[in-house]
Amino acid sequence: MLKLENITKYYGDFLAVDNLSFEVKEGEIFGLLGVNGAGKTTTFRMIMGLLEPSSGSISLNGKKIDYSVTDNIGFLTEERSLLTKMTVKEQCLFYGTLKGMDEEQILSRLKELLEKFGISEYYDKKIKELSKGNQQKIQFITAIINSPKLLILDEPFSGLDPFNVELFKQEIVDMAKNGSMIIFSSHRMEHVELFCKKLVVLMNGKSVLDGYLTDIKEKYRKKNILVKGDIDIEKIKNIKGVIEINEKASEYEIKIENEDVKEDVFKVISKGKNITKFEVEEPSLNEIFVAKVGESYEK
Amino acid sequence: MKSKLNYLIGISLGRKIKTKWFLFANIILAIIIMGIINIDSIISLFGGDFNQKQEIYVIDNTGVAYDVFKEQLNNISLNLNVEDTNGSNYKLEKYDKSIEESKKMLEKKDSALVVVFNNDIQNVINVEIISKEYIDLVEIQSITGAINNTKVALAILNSNISMEEINNIYAPIEIERTFLNEKMNSEDENMEIIVTTVFPIIILPFFMLTIFLVQMIGAEVNDEKATRGMEIIISNVSPKTHFFSKVIAGNLFVIMQGALLIVYAGIGLFIRKLIGGSSIVGGLGNEVSNILNSVMNSGFGEKLIYILPLTLILMLLTFLAYSLLAGILASMTTNTEDFQQLQTPIMIISLIGYYLAMMAGVFKGSLFIKIISFIPFISAILSPSLLVLSQIGIIEIMISIILTIITIWVLIKYGLKIYKVGILNYSSKDLWKKMWKAIKD
Repeated sequence: MLKLENITKYYGDFLAVDNLSFEVKEGEIFGLLGVNGAGKTTTFRMIMGLLEPSSGSISLNGKKIDYSVTDNIGFLTEERSLLTKMTVKEQCLFYGTLKGMDEEQILSRLKELLEKFGISEYYDKKIKELSKGNQQKIQFITAIINSPKLLILDEPFSGLDPFNVELFKQEIVDMAKNGSMIIFSSHRMEHVELFCKKLVVLMNGKSVLDGYLTDIKEKYRKKNILVKGDIDIEKIKNIKGVIEINEKASEYEIKIENEDVKEDVFKVISKGKNITKFEVEEPSLNEIFVAKVGESYEK
Repeated sequence: MKSKLNYLIGISLGRKIKTKWFLFANIILAIIIMGIINIDSIISLFGGDFNQKQEIYVIDNTGVAYDVFKEQLNNISLNLNVEDTNGSNYKLEKYDKSIEESKKMLEKKDSALVVVFNNDIQNVINVEIISKEYIDLVEIQSITGAINNTKVALAILNSNISMEEINNIYAPIEIERTFLNEKMNSEDENMEIIVTTVFPIIILPFFMLTIFLVQMIGAEVNDEKATRGMEIIISNVSPKTHFFSKVIAGNLFVIMQGALLIVYAGIGLFIRKLIGGSSIVGGLGNEVSNILNSVMNSGFGEKLIYILPLTLILMLLTFLAYSLLAGILASMTTNTEDFQQLQTPIMIISLIGYYLAMMAGVFKGSLFIKIISFIPFISAILSPSLLVLSQIGIIEIMISIILTIITIWVLIKYGLKIYKVGILNYSSKDLWKKMWKAIKD
């Protein structure tokens, strides 16, 4: 289990991370979210031991993270961390050996992963000759080449098309099934929503939202009602608890303050004509994120 | 499982050596070094009129000047150490025709000149030299010297002194030198000018290798920093391991490159032996041969027994100090351009040492140069020069070695702290403040 307890990090007088705590258990996929400069990368660097926290502790399976355990950790940085003059094979041998693997292990795992990502032909190609997307695949491969117990992914999907996002996602899910702890950051909430069970939202280094995704959505009282048909918009707008109405293609999205409001909305809509859809749905993570971050900005 | 330190050293060395540019650079270096050593053979290979003698025709209107002039010219040529199969590099001939006819003859000969001796009541003789083109500076000086000596000799002859006695008068005087300091001798004294000329050439490869070393470490650290590969590397190996891997790889590289330069020189000398004669030294060109003979006769060979190991130790320690400094500076910069700006002062320091080494013979006994010779980074270039010139002794060079070791210790102790902070720092804002804080922490 990865455990962060009351982590605080100062850069001089600047508070980058403020009293952050969370846990990631084996087999869990954990999302670390936040706007730019929220403290995500600093948190990752502290987990990797690249930065010392000003206070608090970080442990992996009860042990402080140091060079005796880093062979079991995989790390994908937000920016490209590939030595572009090397070939794919040389690069993987380099990072793999630094993870304590021997050449035979590295090459066999590399061939397996290149095949999985459909880029076997780049085995002997120089990194600088690859496209941005393929470089990201190689970076991902170097991060998971040692089948890490803890995998840290900082913006793993950047530069990838939807097809390759699926490939990455599948690999991440498979690794979690095999017991790896995965912690990742992304600006794309739909990615987080799809396969993260737990998350923390950071704002100015401070956690503004944390917990299991289902609990977060449940606790977030606002709901959305999707309606298709001819309805009296003005009447609905006057209902107490209706926040706003958005017209989307052939349907309306009615945002309500809480679940109790849906009864009143339903009463009005039932008087409308040609009603083919009335659906109450949970708000998206993106909505919750924007709302929470907005609240923090206002504070 | 491989040691991560050894692996990183191997990777760094491989990046430098397993490139076509390393091969290309070494082929060029080998060709240049072997070429310089065999330059006379190369020049001969392309042909040219190297054996053409200066033809001197003498019109002697005095009736007595020719024989004396011939004798004096011969003496001067021997003193100048001009060697030829006939013991001279000129062809001297009496010319019985008129000046006008000699001018017509000179039109057809580029390497000929005519010396006309005329009687002059006031000055005993006066002389006219006629040539088609410019005359070689050494040759005209020899001829002018011989003419002046001829004038004096003719004047003495008029005083009834025999030719034999005149030759004795002109013969060089044997001077016996006595030094109260037993360590001193006249051959060492002559060596000063030779060392001033030769030593900078010998230490030039050291200067060149220092530049290689600093650039190699700077480029590698910056390459890893710029690509953010550094974060992955440092998350797997400690900054200390990384730092020493770069330093060790850099030093191994320059030692290897230095050894290769010696090998190229050895091959060059071997080729020279094959094509130039039985003795390597004997086969060298006259000037190089003379310098080497002077150096060996001066007792330099005996001095080499302690100069060579001390110089080598000091050079290796200085390489280490430079590599540590380069690593520290490279960690503070965020790109190669910044590093290049930072490395300029290092190179200037080294260059100061190089120039002072060249000037050491000129400003003999300079306290300033002696003090500078103790400064680490400069001492490896300057101290050996002063040692060869007997301006400092073994004690002083030992002090230079100790000072360099202390510098290395300081660089490791405090530099490592800077390196740990610097390699993961990507901003130049408050750089010196950050580094100072790192040292204090």
